[in-house]
Amino acid sequence: MRLSYQKRITLTAIIMTVALILVMAALWMPHIKRDVKIMDALFVIDITDSMNVEDATLNGDKVSRLTWAKEFTRRAFLDMPCGAHAGLAIFSEARSLILMNPVEVCASYHDLTQMLNKFDPHMAWARSSEVSKAVYTAIRQAKEIEPEPTIVFVTDGHESPPINESLFPRFDGKPGEIHGVIVGVGGEDLLPIPKTNEEGEIEGFWDVNDVMHQDVYASLRADTNMNVPQARTEHLSSQKKSHLRTLADRVGFEFVSSPTKPGKLVDVISKVSETRPQTIDYDLYAWFAGIALALILLVYLPYGWFIRTDD
Amino acid sequence: MNLFGLEWFNPGFLLLLPLALLPWFNHNLDKTVAWVNLVPVDPLSRFFNIGLKVLSTLVIAALVLALAGPSQPEQKVERIGEGAEIVLLLDRSRSMDDPFAVKHQAAAVSVGGDNSKRNVARDYLTEFVRNRPDDRFGFVFFSTKSVNLLPLTYDKEVVLATINANSLGKGLSDTNMAEALLSSAEMFEGQAYRGSRIVLLVSDGGQLLSEEAKEQISRLYKEMNLSIYWIYLKSNQAMTLEESDEDSLLWVDIPERKLHNFFKSIGVPYRAFEAGSLEAFAEALAEIDRQHYQTLIVEETLPHEPKTDALLWLALLAVLLLAASHLYTFWGVRKAHE
Repeated sequence: MRLSYQKRITLTAIIMTVALILVMAALWMPHIKRDVKIMDALFVIDITDSMNVEDATLNGDKVSRLTWAKEFTRRAFLDMPCGAHAGLAIFSEARSLILMNPVEVCASYHDLTQMLNKFDPHMAWARSSEVSKAVYTAIRQAKEIEPEPTIVFVTDGHESPPINESLFPRFDGKPGEIHGVIVGVGGEDLLPIPKTNEEGEIEGFWDVNDVMHQDVYASLRADTNMNVPQARTEHLSSQKKSHLRTLADRVGFEFVSSPTKPGKLVDVISKVSETRPQTIDYDLYAWFAGIALALILLVYLPYGWFIRTDD
Repeated sequence: MNLFGLEWFNPGFLLLLPLALLPWFNHNLDKTVAWVNLVPVDPLSRFFNIGLKVLSTLVIAALVLALAGPSQPEQKVERIGEGAEIVLLLDRSRSMDDPFAVKHQAAAVSVGGDNSKRNVARDYLTEFVRNRPDDRFGFVFFSTKSVNLLPLTYDKEVVLATINANSLGKGLSDTNMAEALLSSAEMFEGQAYRGSRIVLLVSDGGQLLSEEAKEQISRLYKEMNLSIYWIYLKSNQAMTLEESDEDSLLWVDIPERKLHNFFKSIGVPYRAFEAGSLEAFAEALAEIDRQHYQTLIVEETLPHEPKTDALLWLALLAVLLLAASHLYTFWGVRKAHE
């Protein structure tokens, strides 16, 4: 196609006038209201002894499960859309302890990470690790928060003292009433668990005779099929996937095992959450400026390299 | 991404910048003439020609830069304000679950719901934090071990969220006050002295401190220039921190009094507020509120400031001249063809 000189001049004049109007629109067009979907999440981090086992992979290195949990949580904050809220809690003994109610992730990112960095085993107030009860308490407390957050429970699933699958602690709530995701951390192999002392410092490992190997209640029961001697391995720890899956089903949570991308986890959180709309001011300037730019470039593209424009 | 001291929202667009040179490399708008020598040498039109190319480059560059979304990053500026730096030391022990300010024994043993000491403390502290715009708050996690959970921050939302979280769930079985007091002092370690520094202890009981802990606490508190405020949530209306003649034998030797005497003895500014009722609690906070409006260096964060408008204005000016000149050309060419 070849355009005559006159047509080219005409088109250029039209384009420049339209571009002028578009740039004016980019400057003065009022912002429009737009709804974005945001979520509220409460991250509960397991800080019990088994989280000190170094079998989680971060950037190709083996790090402790707790280090992984903290770093992954931090990255998840970064991947959450601005306007979303995140809170922090720790789990030790048999309960979750909420330390910060959900706050806006972008504005309060600095303080969220400051607090997250402080999480370490010596905050634990007892040396047991009853994961399922901790999930239940997290759910109970989440109900007291307005709006109710989605629970993101980061744990290896190691129950100490152990529980027999048939004597699962009773869950009083309604499954799915509070939404949540259980994030499993840790490797497949049974590894010795570093033992912390009163000061929270690591002192050797838990010995086979330091821990209980059977559910206390099961050992009291007469129905012997529950009491078959089992391997005494409760002083060792791996990610208890099947237990976490059972637990997740029981309370109506999703279960994600060792996710590699924080963005994926945020997608799962957003999928299970009851997202609420938040109105934001949306500036259309980029669209106007972009179209104006494209039009002006049309005038100056080097057509001459492909077709002859002379006449 | 940071570039040229500015933050870019869509740095990818910067790759389009070379397009700004396009106007210098094409002849889309040139009129082909039979013989170049026919065109008279005209310095004025040469000037216009170059001027139009400069304008085109300018408008393309300005639009590309505007699309990349530059903004001035957040800036911290210091200004003189009135306020204080306050470390909150909130007791999270079991006994804080008990109802606040009851008159008789029967009610004291019931578990407090909305009027538990913890909830009351939350409500009043929330109010207090809201009323003090220039204060910086820190929060110490106070359990068997203490952790400086929230380093001093100006972010009121975060402080309030932490105070609110403190009232959720049951209390902890074991709390260690000596550790908590030491942690609070450590919060100021390595911080520039900006003005009034306060450790605000809200608890319903005292604890016996070891001699070693006492020595450490008094040394640190003097060194760091700290004031101590203790809001003591009384479980028994008649009990006072100061000894009096009407003392019941039961409370002559209680830990609260020992702690009170210790605080008085270490030579740092100290005040105790005995809150036996909601009014007394409110009054205690109001009193602290009045006392601590000292001049203080306040750090303020200026939110990041988009710089796109300036670029759009530049683009507007350039495109205005371009449009005018092209419309004029269009008018001229039409006239010539008529």
